[in-house]
Amino acid sequence: MRALLNLLVKELLQLKRDPKIVPILFVAPVFQLFILGYAATTDIKRVELAVCDLDRTAASRQLVEAFTASTYFRVVRTVDAQGELDPLLLAGAARLAVTIPAGFAADRNAGRPSTIQLLADGSDATVGTVGLAYAANVVQQVNAAAGVRPQVEIRPVVLYNPDLKSRNFMVPGILAMIIMIMTMMLTSMALVRESEVGTLEQLLVTPLTPGQLIVGKLVPYALVALVEILTAMPIVLFWFRVPMRGSYLTLFLLTLPFVACTLGLGLLVSTLSRTQQQAMMLSAFVFMLPQIYLSGFIFPIQNMPQAFQLATYLVPLRYYVVILRGVFLKGVGFAELWPQAVALLVLATVILTAARLRFRRRLG
Amino acid sequence: MTAVPVVAARELSRRFGPFVAVDRVSFDVAPGEIFGFLGSNGAGKTTTIRMLCGLLAPSSGSATVLGLDIARQADEVKRRIGYMSQRFSLYTDLTVEENLRFWGGAYGLFGAALGRRADWAIATAGLAELRSALVRKLPSGFRQRLALGAALLHEPPVVFLDEPTGGVDPEARRRFWDLIDDLSAGGTTVFVTTHYMDEAERCHRVALMHAGRLLALDTVPALKGVFPAGAVVEIACSRAPQALGELESFPGVSEAALFGERLHVVLDDPARRQELAGRLDAAGFGPVEARSITPSLEDAFIHTIRLAGEEKTGSGARGPGSGGAA
Amino acid sequence: MIRRTLAIAVKELLQLRRDLRTSLTLLGMPMLLLLIYGYALSFDIVHIRLAVIDHDGGRAARDVRAAFLESGYFDLVAHGRDERVLDGLFDTGDVQAALVIPADYGTTLAAGREAQVQFVLDGADAQTATTILGYARQIVASVSPVLRGAATSGPVLVRPLVWYNPDLSSSRFLVPGLVAFILMVTSVIATALAVVREKERGTMESLRATPLLALELLVGKTLPYLLVASVSAAGSLFLAWALFDVPVRGSLGWLAVVTLLFLGGGLGWGVLISTLADTQQVAFQMGLLSSMLPTLLLSGFIFPISSMPAPVQVITHIVPARYFLVALRGIVLKGAGPEVWWPQALALLAFGAVILAAATVRTVRSL
Repeated sequence: MRALLNLLVKELLQLKRDPKIVPILFVAPVFQLFILGYAATTDIKRVELAVCDLDRTAASRQLVEAFTASTYFRVVRTVDAQGELDPLLLAGAARLAVTIPAGFAADRNAGRPSTIQLLADGSDATVGTVGLAYAANVVQQVNAAAGVRPQVEIRPVVLYNPDLKSRNFMVPGILAMIIMIMTMMLTSMALVRESEVGTLEQLLVTPLTPGQLIVGKLVPYALVALVEILTAMPIVLFWFRVPMRGSYLTLFLLTLPFVACTLGLGLLVSTLSRTQQQAMMLSAFVFMLPQIYLSGFIFPIQNMPQAFQLATYLVPLRYYVVILRGVFLKGVGFAELWPQAVALLVLATVILTAARLRFRRRLG
Repeated sequence: MTAVPVVAARELSRRFGPFVAVDRVSFDVAPGEIFGFLGSNGAGKTTTIRMLCGLLAPSSGSATVLGLDIARQADEVKRRIGYMSQRFSLYTDLTVEENLRFWGGAYGLFGAALGRRADWAIATAGLAELRSALVRKLPSGFRQRLALGAALLHEPPVVFLDEPTGGVDPEARRRFWDLIDDLSAGGTTVFVTTHYMDEAERCHRVALMHAGRLLALDTVPALKGVFPAGAVVEIACSRAPQALGELESFPGVSEAALFGERLHVVLDDPARRQELAGRLDAAGFGPVEARSITPSLEDAFIHTIRLAGEEKTGSGARGPGSGGAA
Repeated sequence: MIRRTLAIAVKELLQLRRDLRTSLTLLGMPMLLLLIYGYALSFDIVHIRLAVIDHDGGRAARDVRAAFLESGYFDLVAHGRDERVLDGLFDTGDVQAALVIPADYGTTLAAGREAQVQFVLDGADAQTATTILGYARQIVASVSPVLRGAATSGPVLVRPLVWYNPDLSSSRFLVPGLVAFILMVTSVIATALAVVREKERGTMESLRATPLLALELLVGKTLPYLLVASVSAAGSLFLAWALFDVPVRGSLGWLAVVTLLFLGGGLGWGVLISTLADTQQVAFQMGLLSSMLPTLLLSGFIFPISSMPAPVQVITHIVPARYFLVALRGIVLKGAGPEVWWPQALALLAFGAVILAAATVRTVRSL
């Protein structure tokens, strides 16, 4: 126990000595959370719309207004000829273009259907898909106002996140990604650095056991992670106003195995690398990138080919994403999240054991 | 050897793939001895020391330190020895004091005892005013003494030093070796590797290592005695580098080497010294002066290596040293 | 000047060549990652876990249910005549959406009145939920007859046309972004260690003693990585075209120019970091933090920039991937020529120049 404290003190002293570390460890995450929390939104707003109104009647202008009245669209240009729309889309100045044909008002007054053309820039599929969907909504409302409506309508009931604000889920998820990156970064360089500098050999001659050395590397960085989380949480809760429907205690307890996994992965990388550069490459490409892409946080897992879906079971962030959603938005606890907790514990155990074994093997 | 050896190696070997770094090395180290391992870089000194400290497992053979087997009882060996590695291995971003506290703690020292030993290390290294200085800022002489102090915090009976004076100025080296003398006088056994001849001269006994093999092990005077009296001749002449070629072809010259501006020559028959001088003069390298000198350890070292090469046998010209410590 | 720069470049190249692990990683990693994630990632949602609660049970109700299941998007995981079936299923995530058909659905429809079906959604993942809702609306609209009733005017119909990516395949949209992301992260990480290693090893000192200018040193160090990264980029773009259906409608030459500018910027960013950091550890941290998440989230790769709040949009201007993506998508998907994307190219050029200048100043100042 005293040996561990000794190691802990040394590690923290070293951290303190490096003037550049403190801003990186404690300011950067908060800063990133701010910016990225705002950036990560899938709520489409202010899509650039170009209008070609070939009718130029009160009715056609009413239609255009219906588009701008919704916050989804922002009219950037109005053109006189359809040919002028092409360059706008090409340049990306407009993402969507609506052409109202000549005779629009006349047809409608006569009770005949009139077709408007919607041109979408498909190169950005998200904006394209959602843009078209919103446009269809707008048109439906126009029709409804005129008494034309489909007979069957959907009444949506949204659970947990009634305004469908993507931010409520994105922000905790981004925090999780930041923590994952920070913890892995720190531990992956930890052992390699000592080995490159030469102090590792001296450590190995002392009575300290490999187990003690490993724990001595994990605990200080776990503390750092804890502080990072504590400083970032107020931003999540009070600045971004993400609702917290579950219990803080549950969140804390379920965060521990996740942090153990990421710290352990970093340590494993440390035992697999001989130079710091190798440690960097390994941790960034083999362990961090998959967690970002395969965690289901941004890209839904159910869309992936079967092989990848299986692979995601090895990704700690995958389980933590479910935990975050559950605790923040659904307000659930251990009763529903125990499979994730167990999975994280199992992963953490496997990872740390592997790190320990690799460490032993390295010693000749 | 009358006392129980502090270190005993028997046919200790270590291979890295096809490369044999340490080849069936055997020796004993007596308590309180300053035992030197002399050899050029790549001779196998560091590999041997790392095996003895439990950092590397031997490929074959065995060794004990303080009666404990290095292969099977490595953890217990580590508890009882001090080690200073060839690379400086204290934390450069911690202060002198912080380093001592940490390393002492790693050996189980704490509280008042740790404080006492830390103070001792600081005093011994002459770092009293610098205890709060970052190690990074210390000049190399201070660093080495600090590293030695750190290795001794837990008062081990034996300490292993791997080329402890690399990159240190001669004055600092001398001070360092004064410390080693004090340690030995106090009963601590010092196992030190070096490639400096003048340091080897300060050891009680020296083992000569070359290409992984132990070629000779004895006291320094005994090692120098490998030559018959007067066999080593120092020659001063003009254009010594060119004269070297001429000398080597002279019959009766078993070795010739350049030492600064002069030549050291080993003659089979010391009496032919003047004949050699005359011949050199006649060849145009005059004026020539030739005189017998006491062979240096370096002469003995080169001679021993050459003999071992000629014999092409396994364990070298001499077996484990006889006679007690000097 | 050129000769000295080349001397440094050659040295760096030789060192790189000997360090096989690094060079192979730099060369092969982007393509490998593209291969893996190109297949894995898409926004098109399938296998949506649907529950159907049918209070009506009649023919019309069964039609609606069939429409959902035949659409190919939904998987039926639970059904019944009572909401209690749903208990806890949303909480555990076993069900993502539930279609609830009221008891009087059939009769209301037959009477010519408006009928409603309830669609319950797990809103926690808002993006997925929105998409699912969109699907549901489409499906219901397709089975629903149109009521003309007291219509005062003719209906407005919509004819949608999608350019550049007609089936709105998200992979054609994602893959270029993925290429940009991977190239950026790889370039920054590769060079972030470059100068720092010299500093740590002490060889910087000896370089200082030569007549080498700071600018020559930096450019020389970057050149070999540019070479490797270009080969890597070419390979990645080739894979994107060959395996992921990403067309190349524009000119390959301009594509090369824009890619080189982008790579230069990314590599330069890494070099700048290496002049700011004193240890490899810090260089790594700075490099990683400044490239991974920002490029992922601020470049327009996934989240549209126009939807972000204004201050954040301003910040995206310093993310080089943002410009590259616009130009890349423009050239590749739209066949756009330089007259369209020259602002982006200019921005990338400016970015590279500023970075290089900053790195040079830093190096000179610290020497």
